[in-house]
Amino acid sequence: MKKTRTFLISADRLRARAGLALLSFALALNPFATPVSAQGVSDEDVKPVPLLQGSVGFITNFTGGQPDLHPIATPVVLLPIGQRWLFETRATFENDLVQVPGRSGFHGGPVQKEVEYAQIDFIANSYMTVTVGRFLTPFGIFNERLYPAWIRNLQSDPLILPIGIGPSNASTGTMIRGGFKAHPQLNINYTAYFSALSTRSPVDSDRFAGLRAGIFVPSERLEIGGSFQHLLQQERSNLFGFHTIWQPTPLPLDIRGEYAHSRRGSGYWVEPAYKLSQLPFLRNKMRRTQLVARYQQFFAGELPNDALPSVNTKEFEFGVNYYFMDGLKASSNYGRQFSAAGNLNVWTMALTYRFVVPLGPTGSAQ
Amino acid sequence: MRRNWMLFCCFGVTACLVRTAIAQEHKESEKASESAATAGLSATNSIPSHDRASPQAFRSSASEDRAARIEGEKRFRTNCGRCHQPPHKFPPRVMATAIRHMRVRAMLTDEDMRLILKYMTQ
Repeated sequence: MKKTRTFLISADRLRARAGLALLSFALALNPFATPVSAQGVSDEDVKPVPLLQGSVGFITNFTGGQPDLHPIATPVVLLPIGQRWLFETRATFENDLVQVPGRSGFHGGPVQKEVEYAQIDFIANSYMTVTVGRFLTPFGIFNERLYPAWIRNLQSDPLILPIGIGPSNASTGTMIRGGFKAHPQLNINYTAYFSALSTRSPVDSDRFAGLRAGIFVPSERLEIGGSFQHLLQQERSNLFGFHTIWQPTPLPLDIRGEYAHSRRGSGYWVEPAYKLSQLPFLRNKMRRTQLVARYQQFFAGELPNDALPSVNTKEFEFGVNYYFMDGLKASSNYGRQFSAAGNLNVWTMALTYRFVVPLGPTGSAQ
Repeated sequence: MRRNWMLFCCFGVTACLVRTAIAQEHKESEKASESAATAGLSATNSIPSHDRASPQAFRSSASEDRAARIEGEKRFRTNCGRCHQPPHKFPPRVMATAIRHMRVRAMLTDEDMRLILKYMTQ
């Protein structure tokens, strides 16, 4: 009993300290807080309209020879309120259709529905936005920026994706974030967040606090950053990671990579993607074609995690993307996974479409 | 205990970094506004007639607009292209919402956001 009480007190203290840290950070910035209009916010002359956007996709996987059809729809609702507020939410509707022995065709269970995030953003000033609600955990770059099916270059998730993002990829709590020019040749972006424990599905989340900071050099098109997270439950461990995105100016090449470390496993992925727009023949077709490859490695940790591989795993994938028009993309990729649990081939084919539907009149700028 | 201190130190360092950068940017913007005011004063002194000033002012504003558009396109390709394929242009009110969303998601700077919006809505 005494032990439990001590645990509760220390948990409360930790929560209070994390909250205090966020508050002190916000206060540290406050002397410089100025009205948004005074900073010349860009949309002050244009009244933003509510938007329904998102993507739909049909993804076919063949993992170890087993086919799996995966229709997915992820609508995003954006509701701007006044000059400083934005409510945004994203839901996912998906299903897995598999072949059942003894029956013809593909069969799936009920459609899985999930609210991935539902957050309110308050743009406090040019340097800071405060977010409250359920938000995508900003650990690394994949979960927050590259996850949607219409954005990702390869449809399969990196092996290390579950590290640091909590259950269901999201956190429930508060976050402050922002980006600013620190030097004519250098932008800095930062995120600090605190997530509370929630065991109620589908809004479950872990209790942790974390930071992510990055520098972006626009002239080199290079972004480098790091993430740190302290878990305030279970083994109370530290997690950290690094990420980079580089687009060399003379080439239509994107190079992305991430490293993540935790007691439940660590690993990295590197993903170059090259658009064939420089080839001197079939220019119209080639500029729409992109070659992608990804090499990744995962090292099992000392503690188990259901979402991560149980043994050391290596995987190499390569694929082709073809952009028919804005938002409509076909992709196909092949990968080979090597692990002590058995080697297997992974084939993926996908068709994804991104849509934007204004939920109000768009004709007038005022 | 050590871990908590590490966390606090990280917060502290980030806060200091942000404050320093903000202070630096404030100084720069003050300098820029001072020099703009000086330039404006000298231009007014050198052109006595309003009729003669108007076409010059018009030409200067047109060239500023063009420069902003070119810079906006550059910022658009640099920032938006980091994660996804550049989309087509949208109506201004749609773009105003999308850019606010991306300001939060991709942590665009105020200046980048303004220039990208200008480019995408013209």
